[in-house]
Amino acid sequence: MFRINNCQIFIENGCIELPDICLQNGELLVLTGPSGMGKSTFLHWLLGDTVEHAKVSGEIILNDIQLNPLNIEQRRLGLLMQDVHLFPHLRVIDNICFALPSHLKNEKDKSLTQHQRRELALNMLNEIDMGYVANHFVEQLSGGERSRVGLVRALANEPKALLMDEPFAALDPNTSEQVSQWAFSQLRTKGVPSIMVSHDLNNIPPQAQHMDLADFYRSL
Amino acid sequence: MATKIRRLILTAGWFIVTLVAGLPLFGIIVGLWPSVTISWDDVSHFFAYNGLASSILSTLFLSLFAPLLALYIGFMVYSQYRFNPRWQALEKRLAPLLSLPHLAVALGLVYLFSSGGLLWSSLWGIFGATAPEWLGLPHKSIATMLLAISIKEVPFFLLIFSALGRQLPIKNWLLQGRALGYSEMASWWLLVFPVLLKQSRLALLAAMAYSLSVLDISLLVGPNIPELYAVVLYNWQTGFTVEEQNVAFIGNLVLIALLSMLIAGIYLHEWWSVTTLRRHAVKRTSLKIVPISRLFTHWLGFFSLLTLAILVTFLVWSLGWNNQEIVQSSSAINWSFSLWQDEWFFIQAPLINSLYIALCSAIIGVLTTLLALELQRQNKHYLPDYIWLMAILLPQLSMVYGWQISHTAIHGGYHSGWVIMSHLPFTFAYSYLVLRGPFQSLDRRYELVAASFGYNYWQQFWKIRFMLLRPALLSALAIAFSVSVAQYIPTLMIGAGRVTTITTEAVAIATGNEQSITAIYMLVQAVLPFVAFLLASVVSQRLRGSFDVSH
Amino acid sequence: MSVKHPMLLAIVMLLLVSTGGWPLAHGQEAQLANATKMANSPQWQKTLNEAKGETVYFYAWGGSKPVNDYLRWAAREVASRYKVRLRHVKVADISEAVSRLKAESGNKSAIDLLWINGENFSFLKQQELLLGNLWTGIPNAALLATQALSLENDFGVPIDGFEVPWGVGQFNIIATNGLLATNSLETQNRKITPESILQAAKQLPGRLSYPRPPEFHGTTFLKQLLVALSDSDARLFAYASPEAQATLLPLLWDYLDQLHPLIWQQGRAFPSSNTEQLALLQQKTLDLTVSFNPNQLIKEQKEQRLPLSAQRLYFSQGAITNSHNLAIPKGAQSPAAAKVVINFLLSEQAQQQKLQGSWGDPTVITPLLDPASTLPSQQELHSSWQQVIEDQWQQKYGA
Repeated sequence: MFRINNCQIFIENGCIELPDICLQNGELLVLTGPSGMGKSTFLHWLLGDTVEHAKVSGEIILNDIQLNPLNIEQRRLGLLMQDVHLFPHLRVIDNICFALPSHLKNEKDKSLTQHQRRELALNMLNEIDMGYVANHFVEQLSGGERSRVGLVRALANEPKALLMDEPFAALDPNTSEQVSQWAFSQLRTKGVPSIMVSHDLNNIPPQAQHMDLADFYRSL
Repeated sequence: MATKIRRLILTAGWFIVTLVAGLPLFGIIVGLWPSVTISWDDVSHFFAYNGLASSILSTLFLSLFAPLLALYIGFMVYSQYRFNPRWQALEKRLAPLLSLPHLAVALGLVYLFSSGGLLWSSLWGIFGATAPEWLGLPHKSIATMLLAISIKEVPFFLLIFSALGRQLPIKNWLLQGRALGYSEMASWWLLVFPVLLKQSRLALLAAMAYSLSVLDISLLVGPNIPELYAVVLYNWQTGFTVEEQNVAFIGNLVLIALLSMLIAGIYLHEWWSVTTLRRHAVKRTSLKIVPISRLFTHWLGFFSLLTLAILVTFLVWSLGWNNQEIVQSSSAINWSFSLWQDEWFFIQAPLINSLYIALCSAIIGVLTTLLALELQRQNKHYLPDYIWLMAILLPQLSMVYGWQISHTAIHGGYHSGWVIMSHLPFTFAYSYLVLRGPFQSLDRRYELVAASFGYNYWQQFWKIRFMLLRPALLSALAIAFSVSVAQYIPTLMIGAGRVTTITTEAVAIATGNEQSITAIYMLVQAVLPFVAFLLASVVSQRLRGSFDVSH
Repeated sequence: MSVKHPMLLAIVMLLLVSTGGWPLAHGQEAQLANATKMANSPQWQKTLNEAKGETVYFYAWGGSKPVNDYLRWAAREVASRYKVRLRHVKVADISEAVSRLKAESGNKSAIDLLWINGENFSFLKQQELLLGNLWTGIPNAALLATQALSLENDFGVPIDGFEVPWGVGQFNIIATNGLLATNSLETQNRKITPESILQAAKQLPGRLSYPRPPEFHGTTFLKQLLVALSDSDARLFAYASPEAQATLLPLLWDYLDQLHPLIWQQGRAFPSSNTEQLALLQQKTLDLTVSFNPNQLIKEQKEQRLPLSAQRLYFSQGAITNSHNLAIPKGAQSPAAAKVVINFLLSEQAQQQKLQGSWGDPTVITPLLDPASTLPSQQELHSSWQQVIEDQWQQKYGA
């Protein structure tokens, strides 16, 4: 369960007072709002990134643990951005291996070997019928493929929640719809609570919660 | 505890970085510290030196116009190639072209194009005649210097432009210009040039500071009635009477004054060219420079050919070709490797020294650059470039003079360790020049993603930032390597001649004007950086960094 | 110590045998005996022992391949004979070494041995930066041909044992065939005058030049002209008083005023050195070069770098002659080894190799002296003239 309480986002000339948010596992919250409303700022604050231009206050609780005092690498929230930021120096399969947690153990309760980690990553790709890109580099992938691989990579890290910053905005409308449908069903099956920032009201799945930041804007 | 260690590491880091980046300023201060009392007699003696005024004027002329000429040519080449299929070829060949040392270019031009040079004398030699003097490039003149420096600096400016261009939406500017009815070339000049010009101030200053105090090529191809200022000053600096030392001191001050005049010149030129272009833009008159730009469509081919011709000239000389044989036994030239066989044994020691010193100082220089950039990133504030680039902005003669004084004062030994240290500020400055752009423009969200996967700061740095920067690091290494190989003054003054490198040998041997043996050393000197660049480009083609991706 | 002893004796014996067929002049016998005696002295044996395993950093101009090759040969020899490593530190200009010595001011020096003469020597001697008593401390110094050659002064400055002559330079001119009208039919030793140079310049404008003073060869060219133009005025060999300057120097400047418009680039550029001028002659850009090595022409011809028709000439008053020398800095880190190297370089074998090899530098020791190959010599001007000529030249033509 992912909860955000008493959250305020301070932006230029104003402030956004969000109502308390509570997401069950597998639930999705879509945040919309005009630009300059601090959507991305809010997301980066959740992630644990230092926010320079605006301040955000509030309490983040994930599965009864308060995240506020933790830094990014301790929070372990997944992140999916518009440009997926697959690492260009690594092949697709190694991008996924990079995200696999280090604590994974094999049946003999030993850390996974490199080979075993690769195998695991390949299985994840095969699950979505994308085993054929395993040895490609990012520039060899299409936009849709990048987004899919990006999600696989994010989920490979076993995040307790996922943050998405306009993840499908760069795709053409058809692909965008396909990929987002696929992504939301993935998240539901894996039971990961997720928050997505978007300016596109068309692709919001019916079962998702929706919040428009402009509704909570208060000028100072 | 953790914060204490962190603070300690940070302090140590800043200390190292300050030490390396501050050495040039330290050298200047020590070099210019009045160790003797300067009397009015010395001042008047200085100004009474016949030819001082014309020497200073021609030096100013040369160091102002040679880099500017190179900048304009560089821009015209850039504008011809940027959005053209040939751009890839240019980018690939730029670094190796950049690697030919200044001295090699200057001597190569003279060996090739002077009236007694390879080209004319073999053309005329066919008819058994001597080429007329007026036809060839003068052996010693400001024109030859101007030509050598401006030809040599064009690839440097291309490198700078190509780095700057990556961060500017040039394509959009050009589109807008053309949409408004200007030709593509006119749009380049009216819209792109003013921006690039402003952003290449430091590069321009670096090239000017170099021309101002370059010694080896001034001696060999510069005019000597009057001599260029660097030569006059060097003669005073190596003079040993009290009077000469005092005059050398004043001379160093004047050198700094000249440098500030050049800085003023940069701003003046910028103001002039920007207002001229603006006037053209407002009045919509046609630019005269536009048709000239087209001349540089084939620059890459021309320059590659010239580089090749210079290398071939050296090779031919080193294999025993000389003018006498052409005339004496017209057809039979005795090609022989005997000179190479003779010299090879003796080249090895300086070659190994060169390799060792260049490798060490390049690696340490690049690592220090990385440290400096990372510390500034931590601070969230980047210091102005000129602070980091002092080694290439301040005149080398005065700077190294100060180092030598300190080196003798602390009774430092004469081994390669000190020489590496004296090369470090230069390898640092050049790798800073090359790395800053890629480092700063590296998308930090890659590290953010890594952090979200649970990787800590060090892991983010090594696994992501360092790995993504590898291609840029490799070219920085190659440039730093070739900068170190070409260093003459620091190697000589700090190594006391006991530490011999290919370059110190080459310069000493070049004073004898025996072309065949000079050619051997020039070739070896030119081949070193060439190999470094070749290796860098081969390796980086197998690596993928942030700049292989089209964002 | 005792091991070295018989070997040295053998070498000396060898020296004696090699000249054995000829009746030795009385002086030469005495010189050889002296050298032998010193070589056998316990003091020299001590020096040889100290030198073993040491490295000598020899600072010498590195622009000449023949010289470099000669020093490489010498390095091999001293390594095998005396277990001394000789490192030739190639400098572009020996004044670099002099200013380094000044900066070190007598402390531990980077330099063990250096090749100097003229103002460099006079400065170092005056600053007391050189090791003294070299003539008495080095056995082969006894062989120096002090009677035949003027080896005791260096540009008018008494050597006083602070340097040891190594070779002799005689100022000569190398020119293409028939360039200069001469008064002799001999092919090797043709004499020239300022007038003949001017005549040649008129006939072939732009084909003559000389190294830019204060380059050593250029200044010497001016000195030779001055001697010729002033009819060897006696005041040139005494301190350059203002009166003497006022009467003698205008002769030179008037002459140069006539000559310069007719020379290479109308005198707006000069070769930086004699070697550059030689290269210009080889490239047929010029018809003449200057040299301090009387055997240079023959050596260049042997290497096929100058046509066989080229000629060696000298001023009719005689060739300005001076020695180039070896000195040890006070702060040298291996002075004993440096002395051993000097001693070797003065040995008959080393001097022979220097003369016969590609360098061709004339010898300074009596046993090898060959008066026939020596040019008639002209006394050096008093050292005060050098600065005067250089300064005024710079003042008149330097810009």
